Amino acid sequence: MKRSYRGVVYLSLVLLLSIVCTQQVVNAFFYERYALTLVVAGLNVLLFPAALWLYRRERDAE
Amino acid sequence: MSEDNQKKTPAQGVPLNEDNYTHNIRKFHERKLDRRSFLKTMVGAAGVFAVSTLPWGAIAAKHLAEGSKRVYPERVIGSAADLPVGEALEFAYPGEHDTALLVRLGDGEYKAYHNACTHLKCPVFWDKAEGDLLCPCHHGVFDVRTGRPKAGPPRRPLPEIELAVKQGTIYATGVKRYET
Repeated sequence: MKRSYRGVVYLSLVLLLSIVCTQQVVNAFFYERYALTLVVAGLNVLLFPAALWLYRRERDAE
Repeated sequence: MSEDNQKKTPAQGVPLNEDNYTHNIRKFHERKLDRRSFLKTMVGAAGVFAVSTLPWGAIAAKHLAEGSKRVYPERVIGSAADLPVGEALEFAYPGEHDTALLVRLGDGEYKAYHNACTHLKCPVFWDKAEGDLLCPCHHGVFDVRTGRPKAGPPRRPLPEIELAVKQGTIYATGVKRYET
């Protein structure tokens, strides 16, 4: 079966977003923008279930 | 020496005296990082990043709940009489490791900044001849009146310390909210 690399690409994008969000959390915290910190940290936490869902979808498709 | 003894301790480079040469080939872990493990690793990394932001979020929430304004203690830096115009004084505020620099620019004009360079945290010095704050590590130059970088690698201003002068004594009263 020829494999599609779509899931790998999507997961890579999610992981990239995770890294960006982590960096933004630290930056916002340093500049004392605590509301922004909370928003970006929440987004980062939500990215994990998204990654898990993408992984499961990819696994079940295999 | 018997044949058996030779079998136990074979000479270097001499093949073992046996027919089966495939005994050291392991097929089970041949592909350590296949597609699925790679995906799992990425999901795990996303989880690690998510968990690592939780403390920051918790501390931010605590700050938000307590109120936006941080309270700093008022502390004596020194006497105005001991600091001539154009001279600088090093002190620590608010913690004992937060070194800062107080510069007297005029009779009643004082400026104080945390003196860790915003490039790589080298200590910043008062260059009296040039009238600038100078980081000697990579020749970063800061404007003494605003704290903004004028030259060199730093791109962010120095955090400013709020001052008060009462009856000839200079007090540090707080650290200005850091904005860029």
